[in-house]
Parts: sequence; C-alpha cells; structure tokens
Amino acid sequence: MAPRKRTHGTFEQTAAPLLFLTPNLLIFLIFIILPAVLGLRMSLYDWSILSGTGFVGFKNFQKLLSDAMFWKTLANTFVYVIFVVPLLVVFALGLALLLSKEGKGMGLFRAFYYLPTMLSLIIVGIAWRWILGFDLGIFNYILKLLGQKPVSWLTNGAMANASLIMVTIWTRVGYFMMMFIGGLQAIPSTYYEAAEIDGATKWIVLRRITLPLLRPMILVVVVLSTIEAFKSYELIYVMTQGGPGSSTKFLVQYIYQVAFEEDRLGYGAAMSVVLLAVIGLFTTVQFIAQKNEYTNE
Amino acid sequence: MNKALRYGLLALFSCVFLFPIFWVIISSLKPQSELFTYPLTILPRNPTIANYITAFASGDFITYFKNSVFVAVVATLITITINVMAGYALSKFYFKGRDFIFYMMIGTLMIPLQAIMVPIFLLLKNLGLLNSLWGVIIPPAATPTGVFLARQYIQTIPDSFIEAARIDGAKEFLIFRKIIVPLAKPIIATIAIFSFMWRWNDFLWPFIVISAKRKMTLQLALANFVGQYQINWANLLAMTVVTMIPMIVVFIVLQKYFVTGLTAGGVKA
Amino acid sequence: MRRRSMTALILLVVLAATVPSSLWAQQKTTLSVVWFNDANESDVFMKTMADYQTSHPNVVLDMQVIPFKDYENKLKLMIAGGNPPDVVRITNNQVAMFVDQLEPLTGKTFDTLAKNYYSSSLALARDEAGRLVAMPTEATANGMIVNKTLFANAGIDVAKLSQTWTWDQWVEAMKKVLKANPKAKYGITVDFSPHRFSTFMFEAGGRFLTNDGKAMNFNTPENLDALNFFKMLHDDGLAPASVWMGSENPQELFSAGLVACHVGGSWLINAYNATIKDFEWAAVRMPKRKINSSVPGGKFVGTFKTSAHKKEALDLIAAFSDKSHNEQYCKDTFNLSARSDAAITYSARNADFAVFAADLAATPAYTAEDWKSPDLNKIYSYIREQVVEGLLGKQTMAQTAINIQTKGNTYFGK
Repeated sequence: MAPRKRTHGTFEQTAAPLLFLTPNLLIFLIFIILPAVLGLRMSLYDWSILSGTGFVGFKNFQKLLSDAMFWKTLANTFVYVIFVVPLLVVFALGLALLLSKEGKGMGLFRAFYYLPTMLSLIIVGIAWRWILGFDLGIFNYILKLLGQKPVSWLTNGAMANASLIMVTIWTRVGYFMMMFIGGLQAIPSTYYEAAEIDGATKWIVLRRITLPLLRPMILVVVVLSTIEAFKSYELIYVMTQGGPGSSTKFLVQYIYQVAFEEDRLGYGAAMSVVLLAVIGLFTTVQFIAQKNEYTNE
Repeated sequence: MNKALRYGLLALFSCVFLFPIFWVIISSLKPQSELFTYPLTILPRNPTIANYITAFASGDFITYFKNSVFVAVVATLITITINVMAGYALSKFYFKGRDFIFYMMIGTLMIPLQAIMVPIFLLLKNLGLLNSLWGVIIPPAATPTGVFLARQYIQTIPDSFIEAARIDGAKEFLIFRKIIVPLAKPIIATIAIFSFMWRWNDFLWPFIVISAKRKMTLQLALANFVGQYQINWANLLAMTVVTMIPMIVVFIVLQKYFVTGLTAGGVKA
Repeated sequence: MRRRSMTALILLVVLAATVPSSLWAQQKTTLSVVWFNDANESDVFMKTMADYQTSHPNVVLDMQVIPFKDYENKLKLMIAGGNPPDVVRITNNQVAMFVDQLEPLTGKTFDTLAKNYYSSSLALARDEAGRLVAMPTEATANGMIVNKTLFANAGIDVAKLSQTWTWDQWVEAMKKVLKANPKAKYGITVDFSPHRFSTFMFEAGGRFLTNDGKAMNFNTPENLDALNFFKMLHDDGLAPASVWMGSENPQELFSAGLVACHVGGSWLINAYNATIKDFEWAAVRMPKRKINSSVPGGKFVGTFKTSAHKKEALDLIAAFSDKSHNEQYCKDTFNLSARSDAAITYSARNADFAVFAADLAATPAYTAEDWKSPDLNKIYSYIREQVVEGLLGKQTMAQTAINIQTKGNTYFGK
C-alpha cells in the first residue's frame, strides 16, 4: 500500500477527535446540560407541580435575599465545608504517607481504610445514626461502661455538626487517600535518594520535596471534596434530618424541602443557581491560588 | 518511624476505624428482639442467620441483585469505553473549544442532582426510559470524573508513539485500539472500580427512574426497609452486609491496577 | 409487486380469522399500583386481591413499591411527568396534598360503600366541595401504649388508673414509676411528628385552623398551654431529648424498656406484637387535659384524574373497599378498619384495638377538618422545626406559636 501523503490535517484526523468525543458528549448534553438549562429556566418562574406555572423574572432571586432560612442553611453549609475539606486533606494525606510504600500488609490496610467508601451513603447514615444514638447507641454505652457521661452526639446543635463532620471524614478519607497514594508513588525515588545523601531530615523532605510535588494532586482533592461537601444531602438527611431543629440543615436539604414539600420548584431552582455560583466561585479561587503558587516556584 | 511502632499504630487505628462496619456485621447476626434491649449487647447472645434467610427468602432479593449487577456491569463497560475515548480526544488532539468542553464537563460536577430532578424526569419520560434499567445505565455513564482521570493519564503517553503510528499509515481508530488502550490499562481499571462503586451504591438515579418492583436495584430495596414509622432492621442489616460483598470482591480483584492507575496521571494534574 | 401485496392481504385476513374472538374482546390492561410498606402491606394487598385477579383475567396488577421517606417526592415527579399511578396508597396527609389531583369517587357504588365507613375517616378524604377523593382503608388513631410491667413494679394498676386519669395524675404516677424502676429512664416518648404532637393540642382544647378552615387559629392560649406542657416534659427529663431533638426512634426506646409510655398510634399494635417479648404492654386511654381527644388518621386508596386507566382503577378500588376484602386486609396488616361494620377478630391484642377505637369515638370532628387542609400540610416540617426551636430554648414557646401562625397564614392568604 502506498504511504500516506500527509500525517497532519487529514480529514480522518480532524474527524477522529470529534468521533471519539461524541458518545460521551452526546449523553452529557442530553442528560445533564439540557436538564440543567431547563432548571435554569425554571428559576425565572413560579413553578408548582400541582397548580401550574407563571413567569416571574428575577422575583425568586429577590425573595432569596430576605429569606432567613436560606441564609441560615447557606451559613451551615459553609461551616461544614470549611471544616470538612482541610480535615479530609490532612487525614487523607497522613494516611497516604503512612501507606504509600509497598510492603507486607500494606494492601490490606489500604483496603481497610477504603472500605467505608464502598458503602452507600444511606447505609452509612443509618448505621451511624444508630451508633451515635443517645440512649441506644453503642458509643454512649461504651462510655458508660468506662464510667463516663454520655455525649449528646446528635441531640446538641454544635455536637451534631461535629458528628456529621466526623462521619463525613470517616466515609470519604479512603477515597482521597488512594488519590494521594497515587500521587506519592509517582514521585521518582531519585529525589528522595538525593535528599538522603544531603542529610535532609524527614520533615524537610516532606516540606521541600513531597508537598510541592504533590500540589497538583492536593488541588484535585481540595476541589473535588469542596464540591462534594457543598452538595451534601443524603448522609446529612438520613443522620439528622437537619436537626436538632435546623442546626444541621444544609442548603440542598432546604432546596429539596422548598421544591417538593412546599411545591415551589421555581424558587428551589433559583436557590440551586446561587449554590452553583457559590461552588463555582470557590473552585475558581482554588484554581487561581494554585496557579499563582506554581509560578512562584 | 520504627516499623513495629508504625504497624502497631496502623493496626490499632484500623480497628477503631472499622468498628462501625464490624458493628453492622455483628448486629446482622442478632435476632430483631435483641437489637434494642437494654443494656446493649456487643456480641450476639443468640447468634442467628435468620435475618439472612428472611432477606433471601423473599425471592425478590435475587431480582434486585440481578438488576444491580446488570446496571453496574453494563454501565461500567459503557463508561470506560466512552470516558477513555473522550479523555483521549481531549488530551491528544487540538481543536477549537477543546478546553471549553473539558471545563464545562468538570463544571457540571457542581450541579446537585436534586436541583434538576424534575427536568430529568420529564426528559426520561419523553424518551421512554422510565422504569427501564437503561434509564439508570445511560444518563450517568458520561462521568466527568472518569473523563478527567482518563485525560490526565493519557496526557502522559508520549506523543511520539502516536506520531510514529501515523507515519506508518495507521488509521486513527487502530491507533486508539492498539496503542492507547493497552497503555491505559491502569486508568481503565481505576475508572472501572470507581464506576462500579458509583453505580452499585447509586440511590438517586434508580429512585428517579424506577418504581416497578421487578426493576428495583438493591439500594432502592434497602431504602424500602425504612418505613413510615419504623425501620425493618433485621432485613436491612442482612441485606446491607450482602450488598457490601460484590464491592469488596471487585476492589480486591482490581486493586493492583488501582494505585498504578492513579500514579501516572497524578503529579501532572 | 401487486401479487405480493395481494398475498400479504390474504394472509392477514386468514390470520385474523383464526385468532379466537375472545382475544379480540379481552385486551389486557395493566394497572400500576403504587404502595409503601411499613411491614408487608404491599404483599397483603396482592394476596387480598388475588381473587379479583382470578375473576378479572384481563386486568394485570403491577405492584410498585416506593420507600416512604421519598414517597411524596416520587408521586410528585410522576404527576409532573404526566404518568401518575393508576392506584395509589396514601396517608391522610398525602390526601390533603394531592386533593386537587385525585379523581372524585362519585356514583352509586361509592355512595353505597361510603355509608358503611366511619365519618371521621371519610371526612379526611373529602375535598372543599365535599366530594370523596379517596377511599379509606385502615383507620388509625393516636394514643398511648404503656409498659405494664414498669407500672406493676410501682404497684400501680395502670389499666384501672388510665380509664379516667388526667395529665396531672399521669405526672404523679410517673414519679412513682420512675422511682420504682431504676432501669427506666423516661416517662414518655412522643413520635417526632406534628401529627402526634397535635394530640396534646387538641386535648388542651386548641386546634390549628378557624372553624371555617380558611385561616390559622394557632396562636391561642390553649395551644400555648399544650406547647408549654410539652416543653415541661422535656425540661423535667420525663421525655427524652434524643427523639425530638435528635434522631432516635421512640419505638426502639420503648422496646428496650427505657420508657414507660409511648404516644404513638394504633399501628404500633402490629409492631409491638412482633417485637416485644421482655415485658407486658397494653394500649390505654390517653390522659385527659381539658378534653379527651385522639387524632384520626389513616391510609387511603385512590386514583388520579390523569391516570391512564381510571375506569379499571375505580373498579379495583370499589372491590378492595367492600366488606370482605377490607376486613381481610385490615386483619392481615393488623390495623383498625375504617369500616364501621367491620367485625374483625385479630389473631391477638383485640383489647388494644378496642381501646383505640374508644379514643377515636371520643374525638371531635374538627380534628379531621384541620388535618385535611392542604395548606396546613405544606408547613408540616416548619411546625416541627419551630416546636424544636422552642424545646431547645432558642425561642419561647410563645414565639413558636406566633411564627407558626404567621407562616401558615402566608399560604392561606395567597
């Protein structure tokens, strides 16, 4: 067969990427982008499943400004994110540093810490709700056996938030630990060998070699965990239903309540738009911060 | 750190860490009446597998299991195919709008599914995908995370491999099949593990699409044990333990690819 | 070409002629039946209607079960998507929610059936024009179940005492019971639900709405009395914090023998019959505040105005609601029947059922009128949240009453 005349710019080459991309992009456009655009449109309407719709422009957004519960749930969500993300990164990284080297039983330990990730959030929520129960929960029972006073894990506003943060970390640390292990194992051992020759302490190695090289992965983990935390609903709702009162009520739960229970889908959609903007803002800031740090190297 | 000390700490921490799972498993072996006695018992007084028998005997369990397996396996096969293709397109080719498409995909991770439940339901109904397992398989198959991971990894495959093949006159799809895919095995395994896990544990998509009993997945069935006034603990615990097992098997089987898969794409994010 | 189409036509005619005529007449209709389960009600329904299936071979019942926690959301999704179920089981709250979407049950069959149902059950299922939009199946009544063993340890014959007791007498009895039983921690636990809380409200002489049902009438001294009494129960440690201000399940607490009394409802008979083996329990009359009152509730079955197979669905509902089917269903699900002529001998605990029925009979009709309001049901979560804010001490109960009144009126005022 005669050799090709060109290796660039052939029709096949221009068409190939589009063909490779199309199946994924198509499903994506139809099942995610399209509903998202429809959802966006809904935010400009008064939309009730049971009694019809009507165009209201930006009125929903105006209502948001004076909706005390909206601000409260947004604040609750913020606090949750601000605690969960750094703690997740620290714990996941810590575990990864302990478990990144190959060795006897390392695979087993990694599996142990990854195990909670494999459970569905509903199961995790139901199980932990039971474990942290004030009267019938095993934690307080063990505390009692040790002669301690029972803790109001889920019956005190602040404690409930702390419990949720703890359970979230328990559930997700294995997932991000695996990502960090991947990042750590990709660092060529020559760096470490050179440092050892130079007599660097473990702490300096960590600060000067490991962490900087791990920065891109840290960004990935921070971004993904931030997005996840902002969207939290299933785990929280199953564990506390937003209680006591509304101290653990987060934004997605409020959106759900407004959209379905109060039958105001347009208003719920408007809140979703704001949530999306908030998450987008956080993420962009994180990307920019990472970029700036990189250029300072 | 002293090796023995390190192992010791890890082992201790693991025990504490895994206690809740241990608690769920051990409780599934208690008869319902023993679950809520006071004082609590840690180890079962009268260990029994009655809960498992009830859960299986209902007959429907086999149906739910089959549905979950079908969804998880088929969705994973579709996902790894289209995600890797998309990742390849977005990393090794240059065309207008390439980066925009990539960031748009990542951006949609930020949309909570609950917010677009109603439009999705209407869409699926119009496409006739309601109460069909395909409605649970196809829409979530285009996972942005999968595309992200694939793109990162494929970026590290040297361009020279591809160029050489082109000079030799190979067709694009052949290049993909014979060069990219074999080299991308680790990330394919990684995406496979993640995809299986996401689909196996998924509650929201099956909830939106399915209500017919014969199409329910295990997660939907588990949610049904939480009734209006009470939780059917006996069935719930037994079924939970059984539901965990395939996940663990998949993880163990694909584990060795898992770490290598994340390695290559990791640093150069 | 002509020959081909000719042959095809002949073949078609021959085929048509050979198909038995009965098949033309009987096209199968599949009815989608949506149910939620506490125990196994969906299975009992299918068993109960097995004879209907045999006598109506052209009707196929497709049972669909939806988890209760997302039940309304799924129904709303299905309605929004234009394919609501043909037959649906709903609670009385949900009847209020979907009152405009449910198909009115009119006509001779349903009028005759209705004559044999409790008026309070029927009242919960009537729309503003007084038309019935769903058939009651089970009736539920709120009430109190007590741990007889704990009372016995304190030397109290609770069966006798409860026949005439007031809440003040109840508090006195609690002090003795808790003293005599160090293992028991609490005197009372109430389900985490505004519906259960409203028992206290109604007994104090209050209610949610005005007499014409068109506005909130919540901010009254009677309701404030109930709210403060409820707060006192928690502050004094008689009620556990972990139920209304946590996530513990009152049934589990009662089953563990930690609580002397459980304010729940008649559905508990089934649950406790199956799970409580360690001590004796019984249903007793609620203590009296200003009046004696329970709160009616129940489950209903109906079809939607936009359902695909309304005619067949109505036929099924009518059959399900006749005496023999209703009795069988209620007997097997261990529930009170909504039929006034039901003569059910349950396999156990008949005395407990009688107690609930007696409480229900003493209940004023306006309790049903209040709870069937769709607008009241829209603020269900809000009411619960506000009561908790009061219990936590974050606001006074007086403020709770004002907030609920104001929020409710925004829906009525619309």
